[in-house]
Amino acid sequence: MAKAIKIFSWPYLRWWMPLVVLLAAGFVVKPWGREKNFPGLPETPDYNYHIRPILSANCYVCHGPDSSSREANLRLDNFADATAPLEDGGFAIVPGNAARSELLRRVSSHDPDLQMPPPKAKKVLSETEIELLRRWIDKGAEWKTHWSFIPPEKPRLPRKLKKAGATAVVDYFIEKELENRGLTPSPEADKNVQIRRLSYLLTGLPPTPEEVSAFLSDSSDNAYEKVVDRLLDSPHFGERWARHWMDLVRYAESMGHEFDYNVGGAWHYRDYLIRAFNEDVPYNQLVVEHLAGDMLTSPRLSSAQGFNESVIGTAFFYMGEGKHSPVSIKQEEADRIDNMIDVTSKTFQGLTVGCARCHDHKFDPIPTTDYYAMYGMLESARFTPQPIGQTAADEEILAMLDRQQTAIRQKLGEQMMESLDKLKPLTPLLPPTPLPQTPTPKPKEQMSEEGNSYKILGDFRKGDFDGWYSNGFAFGDKPVGGKFLPDTNSCCLTAVSPPSASMRKYGPGIHGALRSPNFTINHDFIEVRAAGKNSIIRTVIDNFQLIQWPIYGDISKTIESEEMTNYRMDVAMWKGHKAYIEILPGLFDRHTYSLPSDAWAEVEYATAWTGTSPEMEVPRFLANIDPAVAVRNWMAGTATSDELHRINELLKNKKIQPSFKSVKKEVESWYKLTQKVYRPGYIIGFTEGDSVFSPVFIRGKVGQYSEFTVPHQFLYAISKDEKFSQKGSGRMAWAAAVTDPSNPLTSRVMVNRIWHYLFGRGIVETVDNFGLQGKLPTHPELLDYLAVNFVEEGWSMKKTIRHLVLSQAFRRSSEVISPNENADPENLSWHHFPVRRLEAEAIRDGILAISGCLDSAMFGHSVPIHLTPFMTGRGRPDVSGPLDGSGRRSIYLAIRRNFLSPMMLVFDMPMPFSTFGNRNVTNVPAQSLTLMNDPFVQEEAGYWAEKLLSTPASQEARIRSVYQQAFSREPTEEEKLQAENFLEKQADYYRSKGREAEVERQVWSDYCHTIFNLKEFIHLL
Amino acid sequence: MKSHTCNHRMSRREMLTLCRNGFGSVALLGLMGSIPFGTKLLATTEKIAAAGGGTGLIPHFPAKARSIIFLYMDGGISQVDSFDPKPRLAKENGQNPYEKFEVQATQFNNIGKILKSPWDFRQYGDSGIWVSDLFPHIATCVDDIAVIRSMVSDFPEHTNANYFLHTGIGIQGRPSMGAWINYGLGSENEDLPGYVVLDGGLTPPGGLDNFKSGFLPASFQASIFNSGEMPLANIRPLENESAIQDQKLRFMQQMDQRLLGKIGHADQIESAISNYELAYRMQASVPELAAIAGETRATQNLYGLFSDDPNTRSYGAQCLLARRLVERGVRFIELTCPRVKADRWDQHQGLKEGHELNAHAVDQPIAGLLKDLKSRGLLEETLVVFACEFGRTPFAQGTDGRDHNPSAFSIWLAGAGIKAGTVYGMTDEYGYNVVENKTTIHDLHATMLHLLGVDHERLTYHFSGRDIRLTDVHGQVIKGILT
Repeated sequence: MAKAIKIFSWPYLRWWMPLVVLLAAGFVVKPWGREKNFPGLPETPDYNYHIRPILSANCYVCHGPDSSSREANLRLDNFADATAPLEDGGFAIVPGNAARSELLRRVSSHDPDLQMPPPKAKKVLSETEIELLRRWIDKGAEWKTHWSFIPPEKPRLPRKLKKAGATAVVDYFIEKELENRGLTPSPEADKNVQIRRLSYLLTGLPPTPEEVSAFLSDSSDNAYEKVVDRLLDSPHFGERWARHWMDLVRYAESMGHEFDYNVGGAWHYRDYLIRAFNEDVPYNQLVVEHLAGDMLTSPRLSSAQGFNESVIGTAFFYMGEGKHSPVSIKQEEADRIDNMIDVTSKTFQGLTVGCARCHDHKFDPIPTTDYYAMYGMLESARFTPQPIGQTAADEEILAMLDRQQTAIRQKLGEQMMESLDKLKPLTPLLPPTPLPQTPTPKPKEQMSEEGNSYKILGDFRKGDFDGWYSNGFAFGDKPVGGKFLPDTNSCCLTAVSPPSASMRKYGPGIHGALRSPNFTINHDFIEVRAAGKNSIIRTVIDNFQLIQWPIYGDISKTIESEEMTNYRMDVAMWKGHKAYIEILPGLFDRHTYSLPSDAWAEVEYATAWTGTSPEMEVPRFLANIDPAVAVRNWMAGTATSDELHRINELLKNKKIQPSFKSVKKEVESWYKLTQKVYRPGYIIGFTEGDSVFSPVFIRGKVGQYSEFTVPHQFLYAISKDEKFSQKGSGRMAWAAAVTDPSNPLTSRVMVNRIWHYLFGRGIVETVDNFGLQGKLPTHPELLDYLAVNFVEEGWSMKKTIRHLVLSQAFRRSSEVISPNENADPENLSWHHFPVRRLEAEAIRDGILAISGCLDSAMFGHSVPIHLTPFMTGRGRPDVSGPLDGSGRRSIYLAIRRNFLSPMMLVFDMPMPFSTFGNRNVTNVPAQSLTLMNDPFVQEEAGYWAEKLLSTPASQEARIRSVYQQAFSREPTEEEKLQAENFLEKQADYYRSKGREAEVERQVWSDYCHTIFNLKEFIHLL
Repeated sequence: MKSHTCNHRMSRREMLTLCRNGFGSVALLGLMGSIPFGTKLLATTEKIAAAGGGTGLIPHFPAKARSIIFLYMDGGISQVDSFDPKPRLAKENGQNPYEKFEVQATQFNNIGKILKSPWDFRQYGDSGIWVSDLFPHIATCVDDIAVIRSMVSDFPEHTNANYFLHTGIGIQGRPSMGAWINYGLGSENEDLPGYVVLDGGLTPPGGLDNFKSGFLPASFQASIFNSGEMPLANIRPLENESAIQDQKLRFMQQMDQRLLGKIGHADQIESAISNYELAYRMQASVPELAAIAGETRATQNLYGLFSDDPNTRSYGAQCLLARRLVERGVRFIELTCPRVKADRWDQHQGLKEGHELNAHAVDQPIAGLLKDLKSRGLLEETLVVFACEFGRTPFAQGTDGRDHNPSAFSIWLAGAGIKAGTVYGMTDEYGYNVVENKTTIHDLHATMLHLLGVDHERLTYHFSGRDIRLTDVHGQVIKGILT
């Protein structure tokens, strides 16, 4: 991987070097000087930093990587094409000679016929831009690979920093640039500000007054460090940082659209994230689990309970929108996969691959084949309920179940043998008669002259799965015969099962699924012969999951008879579509999956047919089999189909009637044991299916496909590895490519996100876009250092966070020193810590923490959202949640797409439709109205007042307490005075209205309410 | 604080963030202190910033319309029963559609026979435009409207068709047209939001996301006004007496100013403070707006406020509120449908009863709105759009319903810049497919923006690596219906 990239990079020059030179010269990128001699313009403009922004903004739409919109057969995004002879003579660019370069002539021209960009584009290059192009061409027109596609390398550091640690390096690079700009940074913030900042940014909660005073009185050198470590170890850390991640993967618990169906078990994934962040699961592990956690041979087990954590990772794929009864499910599949591609490429790689759905990316080197390679990988994966809580012990229990079944069989068999002994004189023993002749096996597929046709999709009566996939435990590794499901209501064993794909292998309530390979629907009907309880058969067409009326009701059948029954589904409408059949113990209730503990299923065969249902062969059996041999073999678990048949004959004729009474204890203990592997909780995640290779959808349109299909592969710009695995869905190989240490984006994107969450703006401001349209890094060397260091330190997110918050840059005051205000108004050099508004969650959680109403319970089902009269529409939940969300932290409030919390939205929690690494920070009157008039805020103010009044204290002590809690500081004398004045004024008012009795509670409630409204409360200084 | 120094200190991003505060650029300038609140501004450099770097000034050219009232007919009105008469349906009533034309799959795919319209059509006004007996009141206004009979949509399902109609893309999470318009133009009223949805009772499939701001800043999303005493969430102080809240606010201002004094310049905090002033004013202006009882009896009667039908009364009140919002300079107002007994306009069965219930609720109020706007001279600067997400099939679903048809439907526009008394576009003899002047939702959006003085190709926002427009990469102004 790295090798391919080296070709483009210069061995000695680093892509960021010119920038450093520019900065050293005091060069400020914007604004340009307007003077003709262009002071401050670099002698040798850098392609990445100066030239590409001009070309990209003005030229690439018609002369970029997208061949479909290319004009005049000219592309300017690479050296070879831009310097090739033009169609009508001359050269767009002659390296070293701007005067002979057509490009320069055209961009400087005022002739509407020649001028570039053409007048209709309504774009004109500035004189500075033209001058930059001129200098760059004269200096040789050097193209460079886009900076973010060059793998990061650790920059050279002064000797003294070699062993100083990452925190010192952060400050070194920040201060180096401040020096270059001649700026002095703001001083360190006071300790009160530091601990409030730290506490909110690491845990999303304010520090308690006790924590503040402990920090203030701790004069040891590492007092700050101790606070940092305490917060990193706090369980609330995960609640804060999981929410950041949920913004990236558009976490939601319902699917939106017309009826806002549930995403069943979504909260398990939320809890998984909280645990993962708290345990500092290495980032590369987290990525692998997200892309292919279901495929890991040694999954990560939860530290506390030992259950499989990794399998939960792929749940985020299912959290896209879901359409109610779409007319075109192929379109629906395309839209869902498009959203998955959009989210995964932005989240992990900071790239907008979604643009390549319809055409090659206009700006980034992302061809449509990249998109459809990913499309094929995601189309290959199948959604399945994945159980929560499976442990390594489960397989041992299953083996025990098998053994216990054998023991029960032994006991029952002995009874049978006793009966047989008594019957002996009645059963003349003839040699087994051979079958008259072996019937010719029925052909797998046939079409009759009358137009009737059929295809056997799977027949499990012969002892194998006929190419179907058995996922999970339920169906074991092959069809079984001779097993039984003990019926506690009947006294005796009445039959043993003939071979079929069956859950009798272990018992009821054990999760798993049986699925066919993909096939194309060519017949009118699909028919499945099955028996069972609380289980379903579904025809999954184009991976469509939300199967229901009015269109799709017939392609899902509930197995509701313990007798073998033929279930028929009309699929004539979807001829030509890709499909598979799924036999699943458990049920979907409005698309939420659950597994009743008594659910079981077994299947004999599945067919597809048109005209008349094919008559399947009835197996024939040898007669005159010695029953004793049959029973003995059955006891040993080796009975043949003929022998099982013989036993069933005897059971049916009641010649033998082994009683369940004798094995009651064993059966009960066996049943109890099945419950040990019974898992009630599920998420919907990925499992493997057949490899699907997608064609390119021409202009992104469903129904218009290229003739070729695209192999599974990783992004071309990053990896040109041709050995990418073509087995299965390719997700493991994909995960490996993302987490390969030489991947230039993964580590950079993540450390930049961490920087962004701590400092309020990324080193690359466009945190989700590292492509050509993204912003350039303000501190490229620092970014690269942090990225490499991140990988070297085992992809530890907590370590990176720790390095950053310990830096001086992070600990600076938010006050701006006056010369800096004009020299660097955007604070690109981080001369101060920016004031920032708290996020929606932090505001609400802070209110709860301070009012004393915070319930710090972690994990579990989400709290239903409180419904106001303004929250209307289909799919409205039946019950409204409590106004205060039961005092739980905001991360535990339900995220229903069509019924999002108004308070969260008003304070900019993103709507979950795409990746949001950088939340908007808006300033709207609805925010003021919420804090002023929302009953939640007023109610909490009342609780806070009660808390304050519940212990005897002076007015001054109470005011101090308010300040300590809300602002982590003491009030000034003036503030105390103002508070006292306010309290008095309010009290006067209430007294004047004759409301003496309630005065104290009222005035304090009013005071607390104003505190929640103060800017100091909702901002971090 | 002078605005130029302010510009200096602010990054473009901060600048945008400021522009995002609810009342668009007017509020921004107000916050900067250089221009008093309420000053009407049409073209300023700040607006270009607000428009996310689109080239040129907004408006890009002189605007015909100042405001838009969007009358959303949720569920899909049958074109062949309203504005697109098809005598052939009567002639071939009960015949098999498969023998007449190529039938496309529909959502329920329960294809019945050709179904004639249960209503008669008549010609009205000088223009002689045909209208069915469903809309006797709107019929009296035909000389003020332009009917488009050649609309098409991309989606046969409500939710996607709704997103498409409202946001230009058939998926969830994109900015609504009202959000785009406010992002481009801002509001002319500093006490009210620029994009208001008057909730008639039925939230369209797809939910409130039809009215959200998507990737645009949240401040551009619709404010949903309910009917009743508290039209807007949290608009009413919980304090029993205003003096209590007033004293709180005064104290808060004092404390916030103290913070500013302590930390120096912090635009974010300064604008958050100003925000409280706006919110405070809204507490007064919104209830005042909703006080329609002060309108004359004649006016109220015009809108059907004395009708026996409670749905006519409630929709009439919404229409009257729409006029009051227009008077106050609100840019974009959408009305959703009232909750009649039959489910929206979505008559998969019981076409006659369902369409009549819906029509009865909206017909008189809409005609009243057009007449009232006209008599007050407001119709000249207000664009009224009457539209649904798709039409219905000319054949029955079952026996007495009609299924969704995105391949042809009718809408109408009236007011600013619209060539009144026009019929545009044509469908085939069954009203099933468009045969002339096919018009897309993108075209409708382009036209709406055009009338507001905005070039739809230049109103862009940078998101997800590209400059995104309401009209995506499509859309042409429908010149045929413009003056």
